[in-house]
Amino acid sequence: MIGVGLTLQPEDAYLDLLAGVIREEPDYYEVAPETLWRAPDPETGGELRPNGFHARFAALRARTQRPFVAHGVGFSVGSVAPERARRARWLARIEDDARVFGFEWYTDHLGATVLDGRELLLPLPLAMTAAMAGVVRASLVELQTVVPLAGVENSVFYFHLGDPLDEPAFLGRILDGPGLVLLLDLHNVHTSAVNAGFEAWEYVRRLPLEKVIEIHLAGGTQSDPAWLHSGKVLRLDSHDHAVPQEVWGLFERVLPLCPGLRGVTLERMEGTVGEADVEPIRAELRRARRILELARAR
Amino acid sequence: MHAELEELARLERLVADALTAADPVAELRRAARDESLPADLRAALERADEDGVRLSALLVARLRFERLMQGSRAAARWFEEDARAFTEAFRTYHRSVAPTAPFPGEEGARFEEWLASRRDEV
Repeated sequence: MIGVGLTLQPEDAYLDLLAGVIREEPDYYEVAPETLWRAPDPETGGELRPNGFHARFAALRARTQRPFVAHGVGFSVGSVAPERARRARWLARIEDDARVFGFEWYTDHLGATVLDGRELLLPLPLAMTAAMAGVVRASLVELQTVVPLAGVENSVFYFHLGDPLDEPAFLGRILDGPGLVLLLDLHNVHTSAVNAGFEAWEYVRRLPLEKVIEIHLAGGTQSDPAWLHSGKVLRLDSHDHAVPQEVWGLFERVLPLCPGLRGVTLERMEGTVGEADVEPIRAELRRARRILELARAR
Repeated sequence: MHAELEELARLERLVADALTAADPVAELRRAARDESLPADLRAALERADEDGVRLSALLVARLRFERLMQGSRAAARWFEEDARAFTEAFRTYHRSVAPTAPFPGEEGARFEEWLASRRDEV
């Protein structure tokens, strides 16, 4: 078990405001590798290069010697026929990053963010068929060539291609192999449950919980009623508010059922942290640690 | 298996079309009538939640907008000076130029090229 971690965001204000928390509280850090890269440079054969935050986080790693884990969104594990050159570029960059940061594991989001060659950035739902499970598993096996423990996170989808309560079994089919792991995002479960109208625990209990290596805790907000013609408001996975009580409740309940759990990460988005948020974020990290320690003591 | 993958690739293209269309729900419902897709996938498209589809399309556009703001100083300046005119231009850009740039710098360069080509046309 590594302990309790915090997401590092590539934003000066986030890193400056949370400097004390980042230094004093987490046992490990989580980064989204692609946010530490610059666009491919045609003059160097199109390879992806590190940006300035890459060096800043590498310095943090060298200074603290704390573990790092990777959680991306752009590898697009659910793309049916990913462009080979793009895949090769990403894998080469991730391999370099893994050498610098020593990633304990690498997860991406369930879904596709690149559809038919279009970079949509938002994880979008997949048809939950055996063939699609094979597509996602094949992507994860490619990731395992550079980071041996690789997996997916249950994403938030704002619409589904099938019954959302079939997704846990779909995840089980995807992760049926050695070294394939699940990042259980409890705010995503809560958000999907609120929006799609199902019972969050009903989803959680169906998951392959023996595969859970990491848990995400986060908060969110609601969409603006003016955004949709219907006026309907949906919950967003925006990582911009405190972790809601429902998510803490799920956390306490699921912990004893995850024998392979190694880390619990508090997620927070850049651009959402002000001075008034610093101590509440510290308190959330401490609360997560307390709950984790209590569960381990039982 | 090969045929199934082709069907999934076709589904992927139809979902991408819908989420970058002016009316994503109409586009998705049209896709649900595509008889080259198997019945279960067509049914899944037919049942997709309308508000969720619209919100997803909005978020796709918003993520591209944010990527552009990070990748083009000219675009960010224009937005600051005249948000309404910029938003109109961005809407046209989003509908007419496929989002193929994963990084802000590439998106910014593509937007500026597109803008220059429109000025040339005028």
